[in-house]
Amino acid sequence: MLAYIVRRILYAVPILIGVNLITFVLFFVVNTPDDMARMQLGTRRVTPEAIEKWKGEHGYDRPLLWNASAGGLGKATQTVFFEKSVKLFALEFGAAEDGRDIANEIRARVGPSLALAVPVFLVGLAVNITFALFLAFFRATYLDFWGVTLCVGMMSISALFYIIGGQYVASKLWHLVPISGYAGGLDALKFVVLPVVIGVVSSFGTSARFYRTIFVEELTRDYVRTARAKGLAETSVMFGHVLRNAMIPILTGLVVAIPALFFGSLITESFFGIPGLGSYTIDAIQAQDFAVVRSMVFIGSVLYVLALLFTDISYTFVDPRVRFE
Amino acid sequence: MPFLPVFLTTDVLLWLLVCVSAGYGWYCRRHAHLAAPWVRVFQTRTAVVSVVILTPYLLVGLADSLHFRTRLEQVGAGSAASYSPEVLSLLDIAASHLRSRREKTYSAPFATRLYAKEQIELADGRQVRDFPRLQYGGAHLRDEEERVVDMSRRAAAGLAAAAALWILLAWVVKPLRRRWAAVPWGAAWWTVGPLLVIAAPVLLLSEGYHVFGTDKVGQDVLYLSLKSIRTSLVIGTLTTLAMLPFGIGFGIVAGYFRGWVDDLIQYVYTTLNSIPGVLLIAAAVLMMQVYVDMRPELFPTAAERADFRLLMLCGILGVTTWTGLTRLLRGETLKLSELEYIQAAHAFGVSNARILTRHILPNVAHIVIITVALEFSALVLTEAVLSYIGVGVDPATTSFGTMINAARLEMSREPIVWWSIAAAFAFMLVLVLAANLFADTVRDGFDPRVRMVAIAA
Amino acid sequence: MSGPLLAVESLQTLIDASQGPVRAVDGVSFELRTGECFALVGESGCGKSVTALSIMRLLPEAGRIAAGRVLLDGADLLALPEAAMRAVRGKRVAMIFQEPSTALNPVLTVGRQIAEVIERHSGLSGDAARRRALELLEAVGIPDGARRIDEYAFQLSGGLRQRVMIAAALAVDPEVLIADEPTTALDVTIQAQILDLLAKLQAERGMALLLITHDLGIVAKMAQRVAVMYAGEIVEVAVRDEFLRAPQHPYSQKLFESLPSPGRRAGELAVIRGQVPALTGGFRGCRFAERCDLAFERCREEAPRLLELGGGRRARCHLREAGLAPPRQAELSSGIERPEAKPQRTLLDVDGLKVHFQIRRGIFRRAVGYVRAVDGVSFALHEGRTLALVGESGCGKTTAGKALLQLLAPTAGSVRYEGAELAGLSRAAMRPRRGAMQMIFQDPYASLNPRMRVAEILLEGMRALGVGRDDAQREARLAELLGEVGLPGEALGRYPHEFSGGQRQRIAVARALAVNPRLIVCDEPTSALDVSVQAQILNLLRSLQQRRGIAYLFITHNLSVVEYLAHEVAVMYLGRIVERGTVQEVLRDPKHPYTQALLSAVPTLEGGREIIRLSGELPSPANPPAGCHFHPRCPKARPECRAAYPENLPLGESRTVACVLYRGASGEGSSAASSS
Repeated sequence: MLAYIVRRILYAVPILIGVNLITFVLFFVVNTPDDMARMQLGTRRVTPEAIEKWKGEHGYDRPLLWNASAGGLGKATQTVFFEKSVKLFALEFGAAEDGRDIANEIRARVGPSLALAVPVFLVGLAVNITFALFLAFFRATYLDFWGVTLCVGMMSISALFYIIGGQYVASKLWHLVPISGYAGGLDALKFVVLPVVIGVVSSFGTSARFYRTIFVEELTRDYVRTARAKGLAETSVMFGHVLRNAMIPILTGLVVAIPALFFGSLITESFFGIPGLGSYTIDAIQAQDFAVVRSMVFIGSVLYVLALLFTDISYTFVDPRVRFE
Repeated sequence: MPFLPVFLTTDVLLWLLVCVSAGYGWYCRRHAHLAAPWVRVFQTRTAVVSVVILTPYLLVGLADSLHFRTRLEQVGAGSAASYSPEVLSLLDIAASHLRSRREKTYSAPFATRLYAKEQIELADGRQVRDFPRLQYGGAHLRDEEERVVDMSRRAAAGLAAAAALWILLAWVVKPLRRRWAAVPWGAAWWTVGPLLVIAAPVLLLSEGYHVFGTDKVGQDVLYLSLKSIRTSLVIGTLTTLAMLPFGIGFGIVAGYFRGWVDDLIQYVYTTLNSIPGVLLIAAAVLMMQVYVDMRPELFPTAAERADFRLLMLCGILGVTTWTGLTRLLRGETLKLSELEYIQAAHAFGVSNARILTRHILPNVAHIVIITVALEFSALVLTEAVLSYIGVGVDPATTSFGTMINAARLEMSREPIVWWSIAAAFAFMLVLVLAANLFADTVRDGFDPRVRMVAIAA
Repeated sequence: MSGPLLAVESLQTLIDASQGPVRAVDGVSFELRTGECFALVGESGCGKSVTALSIMRLLPEAGRIAAGRVLLDGADLLALPEAAMRAVRGKRVAMIFQEPSTALNPVLTVGRQIAEVIERHSGLSGDAARRRALELLEAVGIPDGARRIDEYAFQLSGGLRQRVMIAAALAVDPEVLIADEPTTALDVTIQAQILDLLAKLQAERGMALLLITHDLGIVAKMAQRVAVMYAGEIVEVAVRDEFLRAPQHPYSQKLFESLPSPGRRAGELAVIRGQVPALTGGFRGCRFAERCDLAFERCREEAPRLLELGGGRRARCHLREAGLAPPRQAELSSGIERPEAKPQRTLLDVDGLKVHFQIRRGIFRRAVGYVRAVDGVSFALHEGRTLALVGESGCGKTTAGKALLQLLAPTAGSVRYEGAELAGLSRAAMRPRRGAMQMIFQDPYASLNPRMRVAEILLEGMRALGVGRDDAQREARLAELLGEVGLPGEALGRYPHEFSGGQRQRIAVARALAVNPRLIVCDEPTSALDVSVQAQILNLLRSLQQRRGIAYLFITHNLSVVEYLAHEVAVMYLGRIVERGTVQEVLRDPKHPYTQALLSAVPTLEGGREIIRLSGELPSPANPPAGCHFHPRCPKARPECRAAYPENLPLGESRTVACVLYRGASGEGSSAASSS
């Protein structure tokens, strides 16, 4: 089992290197730093001098991969690749367009992001699994049919609608919670509660139906028939047998859901003015701040890889076959 | 010629797709085992209902995919024909009354006056600040008091037309009914009814009013919604088209050859997967934007630039979403290549290329079809979110995303401007719901075991 | 004995399918008495499992019981509310299933799965339940129960899993145990163990056993009374001995006649023509009439009743109104031996063939060892002759077959076809030789591409190997090929799913024949088929061999098939051949202790043979025991067995055995043996 976990950790390294290479290619090879400079300088008079100045200020005035003019190790290190991509591994993100340190920004914004994402994840999981179990319990009845119909209906509605509609109803009409904003500590609650509810609701249709499919599929397995042949009640079969087996595919699905969580947070944060990583990213995208976007891509995949690892480890709790590998 | 056809790339691809689908349909009809799952699909009521709902969307989208430039009035005889710089589509012509009647700014549905007060010069030269009459909406009314009567008259005419059409349709469908008895035609007929009841009055009312109001620059929201349909169709279909070569190729190659090929492909897709999709898309779109903006000479007209961006968005979405299909196909191919008929082919010395095309591909085709169907609705929803973030389609392209994006700032207005956003959501909901229901029946008809983790948007 | 403990009365069960309700069980009645073993016999699809599930009220969701009663001690189970039925399941009526690997929950310990029943139905819980579970593990003969109780199903072998299933089923001493094909998924030596265990537990506890099986040998060994099912109905009921001596229904008679056995070596096996009728429609006459050789006018007009024939015998046949059928022909085990042709030309020579698979473990997935699936196998195949490669699952016989055809790369050793080395040839170099060697696979449902028409399936090999000048010439041969395997020419335009299992296997044979092979590796070609269909395929293979002089390597675990078809036999155990010789030599007078045990474990109609019980299970080929691989299970093991793997000792002209017991006996001309 230890070997399994160590192997999973080691597997994360080439993935992060790969992510790093992809972002490097995307940001520096597809378009040259000159292009970026022109883009940023925008409407102002674009002169070669201005471009050079911009590149110099932002550290793009070096060769991409190999600095022949530098000496010794500098040939490799005094390059855009080393400065802008390799240093991401040390979590050195450099400065944003407005001159602020990206790493500081991230540190300040992780808290609000987690305050939103973690409840969405946990509450969502609990609600969806409960509802799915409920449907599976009443499978092939009208209750099940209308439950699934509800799921399909809800998954056909754009997340934007939930956000805009929810904000309008809860904040503007009923004045239950502030429209947007954020505060630290316990005050965060009143700002976060609506986005959390919306986050849960917008993932509800897809997830609950997915879990129901897993439960219903699991219910057709031979071991379920065995459990029934023992005279166990349907609830014991559900909770004692089906749920534990279904956790294996559910865990697999969760990893896939984690980027979606990030995705969801992006727009929710920006709508509700929560100063998290999501709104930071959206602002950066809209301001075409490449340094920030690049850092967020890297951070995003680090989070994903961590989640992947976490899932792999949690497999060992639900699946003895992994535990005894 | 009275017009000059313009072939936008997405038009060509969309029509190509229509031809390919038609060809596939024809091929299926001749091969019973290929047709069997489709027969199963079209025996369910859900499938028939959703197809009936999707058809008008498809027709509008396709009508909006035939582009041309109209000939301008000859200035002088003998001079070469000159064409308008504006690229129009068949839909634009059909809905020209919607397109051309632009108000100044917002107006509510069925309104006769603008939503904002203006200085109005009265006939007697006095200036008052009031809501001015609309230029087109209800302009035919001499007295605004008549509005309700006029509207009811139009709606009643619409309803009558709808009823007539509906009954006519029952008669038209009769021979089809005999031909394919197993198809639940009743369900189709009962779906067409409500559609007609909604569509016909709206059509007649739109002659005199802005049924869904107008947006900030005074464009008819109904027209914008109709124009958005094409964008959704393009994104929903061409993206999967862009994804299929990667998804299929990598999936079956990894599953069949295993070993280092499999390791490499798995590594690539895990790596791509590990970048949160929206960020990867955003980064790629930003880079594409820089590329487009730096090379204006490549795109002579705005329509072509917008079209290129739409196409590239499909490409980028395709490249970032092939991993799901690859994983499914890899797993299925791993299973298939253990099967005895593949072993038998090896025993005959059949080449790998032939095994992949004759044995593996036809036996995973159902997964591809299911994926295409399931992805469609997810992509339509994704487009809206991306356009909202600002990494979606060109701002000049009408789409549900750009509509919502433009309207949401007005949510804080008092009183609120709700019609634009409501129209976008309503059109989108019906499209996505019908697509979702159809995809479900396709999955059940082909292989209910296929599980897709849809990209939640 | 007392009155019936369990009585099934006119049970009718429907399964909803797309073509309408299938009448899977249609008016079945029988009784089960206390302490009795009652066997329900029939081929697949006859409704025997659905009957069992109906009794338990555990039908799949598409199934429903339409009519009938199931009386347990006089109380109708079908009338009970679900909660009361749950108190019956596991407590009074327990059930075990065919596939122990899927019937156990993979994420719960076996102890938990047994204790669950105890907690549900008796007052015990916690430690007391666990102690009881431990006792049960010991009662079902699981060694080292204290350790096993905390293990998971995937850590156990198939035999142990079925023992766990039995332990869970018997946890609270049910009155009735329903065993649905309990040994079908197991190897023959393990099957013998499980059947013994069931018989022993039944005798000890005096419970009634409803045994569902397709194997007449198991019936002969286990049952006191027998009911034969066909197409949803019981067609015959009898006491075991009467049934074996003189089956009364033409269908039962045919089942016996289609069993391959040495007595039938000379001739063809009886086959039942046609297929089981679809159970969606109604029937006017006898359901078996279409396939019955004895059918007459009335059979098609009037459905026969289940006639009382006296002595507890009942048969559903108009013919029995005229009285009992005569006993079936006694087996002539000394029957006319097929004249043994003199040894033919050697086609294929296999020498020291090894196929090892790497085991990767640890952080870097390094190769830490090898699974020695095939570990030094040598034999020769002769023109027009059949060599049977016999062994239990996991012994490496299929791997050997595939390595022979270079479908798997051999790790070492040589495979020479007419003197030319095949091992290590590239794909391209191998291609021209592929036509000579073909393969027929086990699963007729997986061996034909569902997306290709029969014509394309047959043409594929011919095209790839360039048989025939052009497609026109190839296509001209197709109808002839189908004729050769007994299929109509119109089959060419159809897809595999339109055919039954037996017909599909015929198509697979035709596909192999299309490229004119000289040698065919048959990998368990009949093990997925019912016995009557098996007979058809065996007859076909035999007649093809006689006509075309094809050599077969017949890979099987079924020794009765070997007796019917093979000339020579090689017995494999854990990657090596332990004994080799002609059919007469090996099957009449087995020398190796493993062969002896294997032969004795096969349940036969005659019974009476003493079974040599093998302890334990097949060890893993990744970690074979030192010395003779068989010694830990061998009843005759000696100290020297542990030291080194015994050499192949020649015993007579055609026979070798790898066992130290025969070191002295291998007299004539075995210099290798005597000098060592």
